[in-house]
Formats: sequence, structure tokens, C-alpha cells
Amino acid sequence: MSSKRHSVLPAVDRSGPKPPVNFSTSLTISDNAVLQGTHSITMQAETVVHPRSRIESSVGSVLVGRRCIIQERVHLGAPSDNQDKGTGGVSLGDYVLIEAGSIIEAGGTEIGEGSIIQVGSKIGSGAKIGKNCTVSHLSVIANGDVLPDNTVVYSNGTRRTDKRGTPELRKLSIVKQIAMLRKMIPSNPDKFR
Amino acid sequence: MSLSTPYTYIQCPCSDQTVLSSGNALSDPEEDERTFDPKAPRSNYSLYPLEYLLYCEDCQQIRCPRCVTEESVTYYCPNCLFEVPSSNLRSEGNRCTRSCYQCPVCIGPLQVGAIQPTTDANLLPTQYQTNPTGGPYALFCQYCNWTSTEIGIEFDRPSGIYNQLSKINNGGKPKLTLRDVKDRRKDNPDEPPVPDDQVDADLQFAHLKAFYQSRLSETNTSIRGLPLHDGLGFSSPAALTRIMSLYTGRGHQGRLQQGPADIMREALGTNDGLKIANLDESKEIKKLINGGWDATASLEQRKEQTEPIRFEDQLRPIAYLLRSKRSKRCPACRHIISKPEAKVTSTRFKIRLFAKSYIPTITIRPLNPTATPAPVTYRPMVQEEAPLKPHQPYHFVVTFKNPLFDNIKVTLASPNATPGRFSSRVTVLCPQFEVDANTDMWDDALKDDEKDRSRKADEGPEVGKIWEKGRNWVSIVLEVIPASLRIDQQPKKGNEKIDTSPLKSGEDILEIPMFVRMEWEADTQADMDGPASKDKEAREKRELAYWCVLGVGRISQE
Repeated sequence: MSSKRHSVLPAVDRSGPKPPVNFSTSLTISDNAVLQGTHSITMQAETVVHPRSRIESSVGSVLVGRRCIIQERVHLGAPSDNQDKGTGGVSLGDYVLIEAGSIIEAGGTEIGEGSIIQVGSKIGSGAKIGKNCTVSHLSVIANGDVLPDNTVVYSNGTRRTDKRGTPELRKLSIVKQIAMLRKMIPSNPDKFR
Repeated sequence: MSLSTPYTYIQCPCSDQTVLSSGNALSDPEEDERTFDPKAPRSNYSLYPLEYLLYCEDCQQIRCPRCVTEESVTYYCPNCLFEVPSSNLRSEGNRCTRSCYQCPVCIGPLQVGAIQPTTDANLLPTQYQTNPTGGPYALFCQYCNWTSTEIGIEFDRPSGIYNQLSKINNGGKPKLTLRDVKDRRKDNPDEPPVPDDQVDADLQFAHLKAFYQSRLSETNTSIRGLPLHDGLGFSSPAALTRIMSLYTGRGHQGRLQQGPADIMREALGTNDGLKIANLDESKEIKKLINGGWDATASLEQRKEQTEPIRFEDQLRPIAYLLRSKRSKRCPACRHIISKPEAKVTSTRFKIRLFAKSYIPTITIRPLNPTATPAPVTYRPMVQEEAPLKPHQPYHFVVTFKNPLFDNIKVTLASPNATPGRFSSRVTVLCPQFEVDANTDMWDDALKDDEKDRSRKADEGPEVGKIWEKGRNWVSIVLEVIPASLRIDQQPKKGNEKIDTSPLKSGEDILEIPMFVRMEWEADTQADMDGPASKDKEAREKRELAYWCVLGVGRISQE
């Protein structure tokens, strides 16, 4: 037995075609992230991509806006098992936070500015999520579902409207997170070019 | 109950009518010989997994959660873990009176935070932390993003939320309290009473309480001429003695006639706590038309509220309900059989007599399992066994593990055919055996009992012999021939009418009732009998008998 600890989970599949990428110079992307697919992947200024996150553009192109955070084991652009899937990939607006283990399926999926997708959620193919929404932990958004702006999805799909009116505060907290993460995560965008 | 097989449930004797009436001479001898039917509707309430059962050492009997009597040891808030004295409980109610609140929308815990002016973004902290400069505060739910500003409630201080909240109505207007009403009446005695729509439940309750207290004290004056203490009702011992002295009639007759009548008058006005129901709902209907479905509160949300409400803007933060730690007593001898430590943060027990450490653990598994064991990484998952085919013999290994430090002699009895509509044949191949005492757990590793196990590898089960044996356990083999579940194939029993209704839920699970009787010799308890036994090493014979149910598996429907 070697003294090194091994993960119980199967090794990350890093095979597949290398996608054409379009990175901003201020992007922070760990070289442990996985980028796959044939369509283009665009990431805009000051976005942070954690290690072991997986971005796939085999269905359609992926666009990540400014100051987004994509956390560990997120699968962005996952192929949908839905039969009548829409065309297109995934597009995230600015200030979108996608927390660990979430799955965002491809197929014309859109996530609006300032939305937070919390731990382990699944966004179905073609879903349209408005601005400043919160999708709470382990929620599932059905394929093609539309969430109006400021919607909170919680406890088994119950929805309500966020009336706090504090999107600026949220943006600020993301800016602070990014400032910290840029120090913590060694960036290596050249690996993917 | 869980449907994953195999399982073992034990019947608590408290539900057994024959045990209760055993002292009775009239008890039917045939009743004692009847088999326990695990599928009978009553049985559902008396079967427990071994882990749920307690044991009374003095009665030497199993006790289930249904038959113990409970007593509260402490009351505490589950959120702040503050221990609430029981005197406070009486005066302030059963909810936390500190700053612990639940979200009225999603029941998540609420946090107090400052409402920041959103214009100056550079000074804002990332989370809603209290800032030293102060400012209005509100309750925030981190889960569903509800805030108390939605119902128009803000606080001046981040502490003492309970007191602040009890003074504000939804919308931020101050709440009318009994003291306000009294002050107002003092200043202006001719003022009409408060209109009904301004009287909320708290004010009404305060009025009612004051009214009944004044009534009660008047009535009691008539009895003794002494006003009763605040909070003492008719049920207090002092009041009872007064009532008793009244009935025995020692020198009170004269006074009784002088005082006002014993009959209390009912509440007559708002100041007495009378509130007339408002049947004009046009305001609500209008609100419903404007706001629609989203403006209404759900049934779950309304259930948590103390006042009857309909709309989301009427919701109020829910103060945490207090919880209690309870000790359990044996119903027969009143001995404590489970007592948690009084300290809230401690999860330990002072006394806890588990049945698991007094009666053998019975586990059942198929001799030739069909399901492959689950891989280590998927461990919580349990592979289901394939359903049992009717009319085919199956063997099951039943293991008895002895927790006692004495040898036990076990005798098993089970009906040849299981009770119920579809009766399967059951044979216990070895109904009588002895299980060795529980010893140091390392003995097992040190002792070389390999040859015991290897012997069985090639042979099949034998009648009258133990299948396997270890340090403090014995396994035996049970042969089962499942019955067919087809209704048209049921054998005719004399003139009995056959129930031809379709298969009910749970009827395809093969459950075997088994009567377990254990006998062992234990040291005599010195403190039990008056005269101390001459021989210190004296042993006394003990026995314990109970029914248990072995859930073997599902019968396939062909």
C-alpha cells in the first residue's frame, strides 16, 4: 500500500476533443479544470474556474460572462438525456455563481445576471433563469423551465419572489470572493489554448 | 415499517391481553396457546426492532416506547440550547423568548442582520453582519431569502428580538397591549372600548385572562373570604382544601349566602375579552383578487402561525418551540429505565437499560444468498434478495447472539404453518440449544475456532443440530416452504369460507411468528429480598419469553 490517499471516486475523464477557447486575460482558471467539446468556449473578464470543474461544449458553444465563479465538480454544458433538446449551448450572464457539484445542461440554457445556483442543483436543458435568482441546494429545474427575475427556488421546487432588493450586495460579495480566489487558485489559461 | 427483508421484530408483551389477564382465574386456557399473528391489524402497534426496546431489570420484562411512562427532565430551545426553567414555562409559554425565530415561509432559522443603505456600496460588508454604526435591523432567512422587511418589521437593536417583536404589528405599527388600553382608559374614562379589528389574539387573551382572574377571585372570596394567589386556580391544593372544608360545612354557611353567586358570568364586552367574529370578508376577497395565489400563505405556513391568517404579508416569524428531554419509567414498578443527563449539550444518559443488552440479538439471512453483496463504495445500499418461489424449500440461517455474561438456554417454537390466508410451511431444524456467555470480545480473535466453521462447508443442514457456533452466538437453520399466492389454489379447510379478495399490500411478505423462551442462571440480587442469602454464590434461575417476527422475504407472484 502506498502512503498516498486515493480518491474513492473514479478518475476524471480528460479525453475528448480540445475545444477552441476565447479567454479574457484577467481570467483565473485552474489547470485541473476540464474543458471538452467541439464548439467554442468563451470566458470573460475576472471569471474564476475552480479545479475539477468540467466545461463541455459538445452540444453547443459555452459563454461565461464577467465575474462569474464556477466551483468544483460543476458540469457546465452537460449533454441532456432529453429527446427533443434545444439547439445551442449554455450562456451565463455576469456575476453568476455556480456552486459545487451543480449540473447545467446544454441546449439553449441561459442563466441571468447575478443569479446563484447553489450546491448540487441541476438545471435542465433549455431552462431560462432570470436575473438575481437563487436556486437553492439540490434543486432541480426542469428542461425548458422559465424562472422570472428575482425568483427563489427552495424546498422541493417551491418558488417565491425575492423582495429584498439587494442585488448590489450580492455582486459585492462575489467581487470579494473573486478577489480571494484569485490568490488561492493558480491560473493556467495557456494549457487550454 | 420498513419493507426491506430480512428483518426481525420483537413483540412487546404490553399489548398482549393474555399476559395482562394471566393473574385472572378466568383466563381462557386456549387463549394461551394461540399463535401470534404478525399480520393481524393489532400487531402493527406492538412490533418493534430490538433497538427500540428497553428492559426493566426489576420486572425482568421488555418495555416498548408505548408502555413506558415519560417525565420531562429539562426544557430547552433547540436553536440556542438555552435551558428554560419550568417556572418560566408556566409564565411565558412553550416558546423561546430569546432571539430564536424560524422563517414563516420555509421554517429555516432566521438571523438578525442590519439593513444597509444600498447607495454607498463601498462601505457594505459582504454578509448581513451587524455593523458597529448600528441602524435598523431585520430578520433574514438564509435559505429562502425572506426578510422581516417584507412584512414591514424592523428592529432598533439586534438583541432582545422577542420583546421588540411583541410590540410591533406587521407593517411596523406598534402593537396595542393591555397596558396601553388601561392607560388610555385612565386618561379618558369615557372612551369607547377598542374596536374589534384592532384587537389581536394577544390582547384578547390578556383581556380574557384578566377577566377570568377577577371572576375567579370573586368566586373564591365567597368561599373563604380570602383572595386566591395569582395563577392559582381551582386545581391547586389550597383551593381544594377550601372546597373540601366548604362541603364538610364547618361554619361557612352564613358567609356563603352573603357573597356573590358561585356562577360566573360570561364575558360581555371587548374589555372582558369578547370578540365577535368578523363575517364580512369582502376585504379579503378583494385582496385575493388583487394579489392572486402568490399572496396567500400555504397550509403548512398557516399551521405554524399562532393566529389564523390567510395572506403572506400577515405571516409572522415563528418563535422556536421548546423541546424536552425525557426520562422513562417502567409502568409496573416505577423504576427509571432511561434517564438522560440534564445538561442540554450532553447527549449521554445516566441510566439507559436497552433490551439489546439483556435479550439475544436475532438476525436472519438466507443460507444460499442470491443477491451479490454491495460494493464497499455503495455501502448504504442493500441488495434485495430475489423473491421466493412458492412450493420450493428455502433455508435460512437464524443467528442468536447472547449479550449476557451467563450461558442461556434458548427454546424456540413456531407454528408449522404461518397464520394468515397464505400459510407457508415452517420447520425449525434445531429448536433447542444453548448459547455461550458473552466474554471479552478479543477472545474470539485469540481462540482458534476455525475447525468449527470449516466443517459445515460441504454438508447440508441437519435436523437437531446447530449450524454454526461462535464465542457468544449460535446459528440454526430454518426451513421454509412458501405458499402460493394464487387465490384459486388455496386448500379447503372444512366448511370454512375462503377469502377470495385480491392480494392486500404486505401479504406477499413471508413473516414467521416465533416464540422465544430463554432460560439462564444469574446471581441473585442481594438488595431484592429481605433476608440476605447465606450463600453469596447463590444462583437463581431466570426465564424470559416473548414473541418475535422474522420477516423472511417476498414471495413471488406467479
